[in-house]
Amino acid sequence: MRLVRHLVRTPEGAIGLAILAALVLVALFAPVLSPGDPLRIAGRALLPPFADPAFPLGTDRLGRDVLAGILHGTRTSLAVGLAAALAAIAIGLCVGLTAGFAGGLVDEGLMRVVDAFQIVPSFLLALAFVSVIGASVPVVVLAIALGAWADPARLTRAQVLSIRERDYVASARVIGMHPAEIALREILPNALPPVLALSAIIVAAAILTEAALSFLGLGDPNVVTWGSMIAEGRNILRSSPSLSIFPGIALVVTVVGVYLFSEGLTKALAGRRLEP
Amino acid sequence: MTIANPSRRTLLQAGGLLLASTALPTFTLAQAAPAGGRLVVAADSEPKNLNPAIVASNGVFFIASKVVEPLAEASFDGKDGLAPRLATSWEGSADGKSVTFKLREGVKWHDGKPFTSADVAYSALAIWKPLQNLGRLVFANLETVETPDATTAVFKFSKPTPLQLIRNALPVVSSVVPKHLYEGTDIATNPANVKLVGTGPFKLTEYKPGEYYRLTRNADYWGKGEPKLDEIIFRVLPDRAGAGAALEAEEIQLAAFSAVPLTDLARISKVPGIKVISKGYEALTYQLVVEINHRRKELADVKVRQAIAHAIDRKFVVDTIFLGYAAASTGPVPKNAPEFYDASVPTYAFDTAKANALLDEAGYKKGANGTRFSLKLRPAPYFNETKQFGDYLRQALAAVGIDAQLVNADAAAHQKAVYTDHDFDLAIGPPVFRGDPAISTTILVQSGIPAGVPFSNQGGYENKELDGIIAKASETIDTAARTELYKQFQKIVATDLPLINVAEWGFITVARDTVQNVSNNPRWAVSNWSDTALKS
Repeated sequence: MRLVRHLVRTPEGAIGLAILAALVLVALFAPVLSPGDPLRIAGRALLPPFADPAFPLGTDRLGRDVLAGILHGTRTSLAVGLAAALAAIAIGLCVGLTAGFAGGLVDEGLMRVVDAFQIVPSFLLALAFVSVIGASVPVVVLAIALGAWADPARLTRAQVLSIRERDYVASARVIGMHPAEIALREILPNALPPVLALSAIIVAAAILTEAALSFLGLGDPNVVTWGSMIAEGRNILRSSPSLSIFPGIALVVTVVGVYLFSEGLTKALAGRRLEP
Repeated sequence: MTIANPSRRTLLQAGGLLLASTALPTFTLAQAAPAGGRLVVAADSEPKNLNPAIVASNGVFFIASKVVEPLAEASFDGKDGLAPRLATSWEGSADGKSVTFKLREGVKWHDGKPFTSADVAYSALAIWKPLQNLGRLVFANLETVETPDATTAVFKFSKPTPLQLIRNALPVVSSVVPKHLYEGTDIATNPANVKLVGTGPFKLTEYKPGEYYRLTRNADYWGKGEPKLDEIIFRVLPDRAGAGAALEAEEIQLAAFSAVPLTDLARISKVPGIKVISKGYEALTYQLVVEINHRRKELADVKVRQAIAHAIDRKFVVDTIFLGYAAASTGPVPKNAPEFYDASVPTYAFDTAKANALLDEAGYKKGANGTRFSLKLRPAPYFNETKQFGDYLRQALAAVGIDAQLVNADAAAHQKAVYTDHDFDLAIGPPVFRGDPAISTTILVQSGIPAGVPFSNQGGYENKELDGIIAKASETIDTAARTELYKQFQKIVATDLPLINVAEWGFITVARDTVQNVSNNPRWAVSNWSDTALKS
């Protein structure tokens, strides 16, 4: 709770948290705000925005409600972003912790694997992965996580390397604690804060990657996503720019919100450490 | 020596015209199209194999048809709907087992060698029949080609082969390539498949991958006063949104095959100096078709197939997806093939209630969640419209309680999944009607086709009666009797629904006003453009 208080005290954190909270609410209540399948053909095609109260943001090429698409798209974007970041952090933490704590050959081996993943541009990796396996939400999540776990792994390893030389770790070893217990109970909690700060950035990047994949037609075609909405609008950018602009704005707001939140989180974590 | 120095002559002519047009602003060029000039055209794909004798597809023809010519080209007003090219006349024998072609005299290949009947015989026997995607079917029973003299080629068939089919197929399957460059080589890897050598009005002089194809005037072309243009540049513009902007900026003068998206046409038609033309694709009708995998037990029931046909609102498809640039289909033969088209087939009006009733009747009641069963739906990725129709069909099926899960894939993966692995329940395909049902339409429903043949019946549909009619029509020489068989064919397909024909469409050409003689034959975009001209 103290962390939240610190977070809210920074302007970035407060704004970021507000945006994120609003988005989460929209995502949770999307089926209430706009019931039914958002891909349903609901009205006349290409209604302009702000013209018909039934379709506040207009309709697309096939007559699907743009507002419903954006509301339900929040779910996909947040779900994919969070799940991918969670998976990436989980893999990164495990690999980093093992490498840093075990040292030696294990460390060398794992770090070369991390190198290999860092060398390949993560977007290309995701692109290749999805085009080979086929587009569906779990595959997209996995594809994004695959390109994102290397950074937290490196960060965790660096933290672990410095922490494991601390006195309290040495004393834990002296009293005969099991190495796994030392790693999980003594080192991990102290290595976590910087990785958490990084996690928000990974969420933002994951949301963007998901949108880019959908834009290229590699998203799941059975759910509505902002990226696919922008891609569809692109063909008629000259005559109905709003079709691309609205999901674009939603994407920008989300990513900015997540970034601000991560900024605030970093500051709050730093502040907590400075305060006694 | 009338054509002593063509480049200088055309230069002078062009200069003269320029003078005339500036001196007399009202001077019109109605009588004779001007010669000279460079036409820049948008191209959206770069086929790996550019040899139209092997790959008879529109993507290849678009560029190659200016270089390599067929025996005859489609025509709006010619006899049998044909205009002579390398052949000047054709005649079938009474028993249907031979067709005699009289070939044009004085034609030269681009490398200077004379064109003779030996080239036709070689192309037919070594390439069209064994290698070409469509020639395999049309020339299946071709035994030999006799060449009594340099300008006569007699095609001999082992079984009677209808002249009507040969005639209708000529523009597509009969691209002649030079024997002296292909004989004794591996045809599939011959360099002439990319560096084309033909008899056409233009020579392929330069190809920069990812950038452009340059075609230059063939001064020795057999057509009098043709070609009009000095040069055609096919600029590779894979981005569809880019073609419209390039036309407005006058970077290109012509975009065929709907390179300008349908949604942009209303806007661009109002731009001064640009015309939108929907003519010129009559012999290249694309059909929007729902392919059905009959191995699924639900889909093997004709009632379910009828229900799906009733669930589709063809008017919505034509008006909203194609923005009116299409027509609703009634069956496997499109309306603009009046020779064969039969309007008196069963049709399926848009009727959700009836579709629901048919599904109930078939024994697939709605479950607690409102769905009857789930299907895998694969829309072909080649066109925006096929993808959009996929989105639409998913919704249309949801309205009658069928849950369709869309699976998107790139072109190669889609073809493998549908035509080789049969990993689909419903697929959306755009087959082409090429002037005669026997060329590329009957194969969509005929049984016994091995897996891996693209755009064929891979849904496991088998109908002995239909197979019988198709086989009989392929050997019926009498035109009227053959046409009658294809009318029966249409009735059976429309009744039993091995596949569902939804709409049929041609493409749109957008050109600057300065381009003349556009769309003056039913296959214009893939014809030789020898009379196309630029007004300066």
